[in-house]
Amino acid sequence: MPEATSTRQRLISVVIPVQKRYDDIEELYGAYAEALRRCDDRFEFIFVLDGDYPDVQRQLEQLRHSGEPIQVIRFTRAFGESVALTVGFEHSQGELVLTLPAFYQIDPETLPAFIGSLGDEDMLQGRRWPRTDSALNRAGTVLLHRLIRLVTGHTFRDVGCSLRLMRRQVAREVVIYGDQHTFLPVLASNRGFRVREVSVQQSKNDPYVRYYQPSEYLRRLLSIFTIFFLGRFTKAPLRFFGVCGTLLMLLGMVLIGVVVFERLFSGVPAGDRPMLLFGVVNLVLGAQVFALGLIGELIIFTHGRELKEYSIAEVEGAGLSERKTIEPDVPDRAPLASGSGGSKQ
Amino acid sequence: MNTAAAGRTAASPSVSVVIPVFNEADNVGRVHDAVTSVLNTTGLDYEIIFVDDGSDDETAQVLRRLVADDRRVRFARFRRNFGQTPAMAAGIQLASGSILITMDGDLQNDPRDIPAMVARVVDGADIVAGWRARRQDHYLTRVLPSRIANWLIGRVTGVPIRDNGCSLKAYRASVIKRVPLYSDMHRFIPAMASITGARVEQMRVRHHARRFGTSKYGLGRVWRVLFDMISVKMVIAFASRPALWFTLIAVGPLLLAAGAGLFGLAAYADDPASASFVPLGITLLSGALASFLLGCGVLGELVFRSSESREHHLSKLTAIVSESGDRIRPAPAVRR
Repeated sequence: MPEATSTRQRLISVVIPVQKRYDDIEELYGAYAEALRRCDDRFEFIFVLDGDYPDVQRQLEQLRHSGEPIQVIRFTRAFGESVALTVGFEHSQGELVLTLPAFYQIDPETLPAFIGSLGDEDMLQGRRWPRTDSALNRAGTVLLHRLIRLVTGHTFRDVGCSLRLMRRQVAREVVIYGDQHTFLPVLASNRGFRVREVSVQQSKNDPYVRYYQPSEYLRRLLSIFTIFFLGRFTKAPLRFFGVCGTLLMLLGMVLIGVVVFERLFSGVPAGDRPMLLFGVVNLVLGAQVFALGLIGELIIFTHGRELKEYSIAEVEGAGLSERKTIEPDVPDRAPLASGSGGSKQ
Repeated sequence: MNTAAAGRTAASPSVSVVIPVFNEADNVGRVHDAVTSVLNTTGLDYEIIFVDDGSDDETAQVLRRLVADDRRVRFARFRRNFGQTPAMAAGIQLASGSILITMDGDLQNDPRDIPAMVARVVDGADIVAGWRARRQDHYLTRVLPSRIANWLIGRVTGVPIRDNGCSLKAYRASVIKRVPLYSDMHRFIPAMASITGARVEQMRVRHHARRFGTSKYGLGRVWRVLFDMISVKMVIAFASRPALWFTLIAVGPLLLAAGAGLFGLAAYADDPASASFVPLGITLLSGALASFLLGCGVLGELVFRSSESREHHLSKLTAIVSESGDRIRPAPAVRR
């Protein structure tokens, strides 16, 4: 067991988004609360119901009336896990935020050790290890993380694990929307927070084989691409669109040039050659891609003053200003409407 | 903040020196000494703001000690390395002087140039850009590329700054705080500020060879600067009327479409049997491109209209309220 990290009691907010996949909540809450009671810290539970789950809500209300520190937030319809987490973070009071799955994914018994292992990092990401589920699921995990490593350079090995512990600053500053909740550790370390992966015991009740819809895999792939793009090119869209567009236009010009050259010097009729058309298509496509980049630049420019692309860890000294202490600045949260959201990172 | 700063200008300007640093533990102490020894003799009210851009050496510790020793020093630390433009943007946000100076943290700029720059701003300049005479850098990898870049940037953006790479610049706080700074735009501050009608002046400054630490620049940024330059040009030209500019660009494809169409028709009229489909294809494609560009123009107009920058950047800033009196000085013609 790691030593107790602090002598005073911290308040830890436990955020549990409830979606389609959930196990008996009363039992699960009992197991979580039982394990967490062995920590030195105080806890508050925030359940975010992503849609209408009357039975879960009834159970939670009962628990709340019997004096458990539970807060229940219900969405009128499903907005997705990222929005559920964001709203949960907004309602949290604790200096640390713990996210847990609403189903048996990790063994609750490992929670005290997990929380205790927080050193001076800003975030801990759980990793189910050793894995007890099927080779198929494990292969999927390995493949996904190979891809994440290839695209983002981060070496996380289980971002699919919903067990995460983070300082309040991380929960407030890292903006997630769409399907980006899975990539919270990636986004946090992109913003400069220190994230460490910690192995935890996988729950015995985690199903041996889990199936996902094909669309789930597609969404993950798209999320990885989004995160790559957000990290590299959002502040300078023309660098991406400009290179793509210029290459396409060059290809188009070379093709047209070949046709024109052969027409002039070899006498090959140019009028009925498909290659000419292919060249023009490339030229047109390149120009369109380039124009998209220009529109992107215009968007960034008009919002340039609101974009804070940096994250300040500390400010010391007063200088000319009379203010003696300054909170490190926190960007406003992204709007919560589904699908929308700032491209801040 | 702006009004407070303006109020202070009338009496005597206060100066904020913004210095982004990255792994300059050996240099920050010397920079601090150099800046304070110069500014103490001027009697100006000043502060020095160091922005530590996620250094992984002892820069932060050295700066914390500086803050403890000198109450005019302020220091902000980034969580990780975000780059020079964000560091400058953060420093500019934190600064509360009425005149801002930016300089490098590697002692290549000489603080002895600061008083003259401040005087220029007091005299009415909004931006004073330094240019380095006889640069003390490697000619082939540093000086020559930057000569070419400066010439190109001047031609393209229409703001011919001799030395865009020189960090030593002075700004009127109320002007620079309105210029959007993102990506690697610090190189283009004078050009960006020119949208707002700022009065840009240039001044020859001293330049020293790097004595401590290593340079953080290389040649790999050429294509980025190139595309950033196009962005700046576009933003300067398009910002207020994107629809017009996209329409102008669409004229080319439209003409091509018309020409190819006529050619195709003529060929068909000439000999319907052997006429090819290619001219018709080109007509369709060019026409599609033209309408796409027109659509982009409408989209650009929408983006521009829905943003607040319309009032921030253009209408408000085309006339600058003189801060020494109540006279309104019309800004030099806004380039569009």
